[in-house]
Amino acid sequence: MAAMAAGGPRRCRRLEAEAARAVLGAADTLLFDCDGVLWRGEAAVGGAAAALGRLAAAGKRLCYVTNNSSRTRAAYTEKLRRLGFPPAEPRHVFGSAYCAARYLRQALPPGAAAYVLGSPALAAELEAVGVPHLGPGPAALPGPAPADWAQAPLDPAVRAVLVGFDEHFSYAKLCQALRYLLRGGPDCLLVGTNRDHRLPLEGGTAIPGTGCLVKAVETAAQREAFIVGKPNRYMFDCVVSEFNIDPARTIMVGDRLDTDILMGNSCGLTTLLTLTGVTTLDEVKGHQESDCPARQSLVPDYYVDSIADLLPALGD
Amino acid sequence: MASCRRLSGAGLREVLGSAQGLLFDCDGVLWAGERAVPGAPELLERLRRSGKAALFVSNNSRRSVAELERRFSRLGFRGVRAEHVFSSALCSALFLRQRLLGGGGGNGGGRVFVLGGEGLRGEVRDAGLRLAGEGEPAPGAAEPVRAVLVGYDDQFTFAKLAQACGYLRDPQCLLVATDPDPWHPLSDGQRTPGEPAPPPLLPRGGTGSLTAAVETASGRKALVVGKPNTYMFDCIVERFGVDPSRTLMVGDRLETDILFGKNCGLSTILTLTGVSRLEEAQAYMASDSAAAKDLVPNYYVDSIADLIPGLDE
Repeated sequence: MAAMAAGGPRRCRRLEAEAARAVLGAADTLLFDCDGVLWRGEAAVGGAAAALGRLAAAGKRLCYVTNNSSRTRAAYTEKLRRLGFPPAEPRHVFGSAYCAARYLRQALPPGAAAYVLGSPALAAELEAVGVPHLGPGPAALPGPAPADWAQAPLDPAVRAVLVGFDEHFSYAKLCQALRYLLRGGPDCLLVGTNRDHRLPLEGGTAIPGTGCLVKAVETAAQREAFIVGKPNRYMFDCVVSEFNIDPARTIMVGDRLDTDILMGNSCGLTTLLTLTGVTTLDEVKGHQESDCPARQSLVPDYYVDSIADLLPALGD
Repeated sequence: MASCRRLSGAGLREVLGSAQGLLFDCDGVLWAGERAVPGAPELLERLRRSGKAALFVSNNSRRSVAELERRFSRLGFRGVRAEHVFSSALCSALFLRQRLLGGGGGNGGGRVFVLGGEGLRGEVRDAGLRLAGEGEPAPGAAEPVRAVLVGYDDQFTFAKLAQACGYLRDPQCLLVATDPDPWHPLSDGQRTPGEPAPPPLLPRGGTGSLTAAVETASGRKALVVGKPNTYMFDCIVERFGVDPSRTLMVGDRLETDILFGKNCGLSTILTLTGVSRLEEAQAYMASDSAAAKDLVPNYYVDSIADLIPGLDE
């Protein structure tokens, strides 16, 4: 694939015309981040559905890889359908909730449970793979004060603490999580769905992301969590276990350098940045001009202003 | 480099003899939970009779100094007044007063959004600052919030985290934390050196972990008032004018109390009735890293009651 010189720095070239036709032609699989790439909130990026429609018609495999832990795979397939994207099955969607559930199913001994700081979606994905769990929702406490919380029962089956996006996060839940981690020591896993520190909302504001909650638990427990989401490679490993993927014939499309592009680069994929999300070209240039190898690994092979720009290369 | 020697006998009399005063951490030094360390009240009484000053410096941001004064009394310590007690709650309030109201600022100072309990909020009010309430109108609609203060907050929620981040979008808004303590177990009884720790009942502390959440969400680094940073010592010097070369720091945590003593130019005594183990101090001493050596105390004792023989009858 004419994507990148082995070992050379990535050049973040605009993907258009002949290069676009060649790069897309040589790919079997495209992995798409969702927020900021396919849609923003409930609004699809103009032309994105059409571009994906043409890719699907050309026989490309399309998968969706997202750090968002608040939705199930089923909810993502429904959203894709609702916004006019080509039909997808849940098996094409790799959300951090689903992948965290898979990780725990594989890492926990049979019958072991997880204490979850997270959303109903995260609980649903754990349910679907058969991992017992407790915790989502507001803390169920025997009294209002910390002294009462020492009486809250610890479930003997819990062998993992899982941290995802949790709008009910509180000091009480942090206490409970820490009690499980102190009780179990290294035998109690600490897993986080992702480290995104901000969740952008429509209109330009943002709320704190899961990364903040993971950091709070890690600081309290004085240990590091295993992180399922991008840029770590576990979610890519999930894709590989489901489909026959050749990294040399796979493109990762995303809007964030430190998650999408970094994961794609680390896994040996061709990486394509779209500017419809959080990243600007100036940021990329800053990394390109840096001497620091860690920053260099944030630079994508290619960029487009929007994935709609791929349409001309996909014409008949 | 400090050499972590047991303080006893002639050495003890010499060290205490030349000291004008002692700074004490509280939790794990004077008391553990609701029990005074045996001999601690007597030590303070003997210091008083010897004409040596005893001042108290605590990272605990839960209680106001008035509450701490009552706690001292309840646990059997006589003669400790609020003005002798420097908590991270008090010092954070003093810090914010200096930054928001000091220097002739004519803009009224602005409000402070406090992530903390009533003890901390009271200290901030007593310093003459106004608090941003909860469920307020959108940032910017009322008098601006000029600082977010993170302390011990057992009512911390995601919503408060989001609110703090909203205020911190203004680069002029300070982010301040009362102390860096990530967490440590609450135990019912005191530690006996050489015996295993009693099982933790419930973790407490945690300002450090809440601060980490706010820092991650806002992309900002907090200014930390508490030990091992030296601001609390500045407050002590301002009020009492102590001479560091004649003052001893007594604490139970190497990473906060002993490092604080080192940073302030004080000789340090580790007491083993609290968090840190003697082996940890010895490991730091054996380390090659310069930073590790700063965590080694000059002296150690099993309990502060061991200091009593160093004072005149």
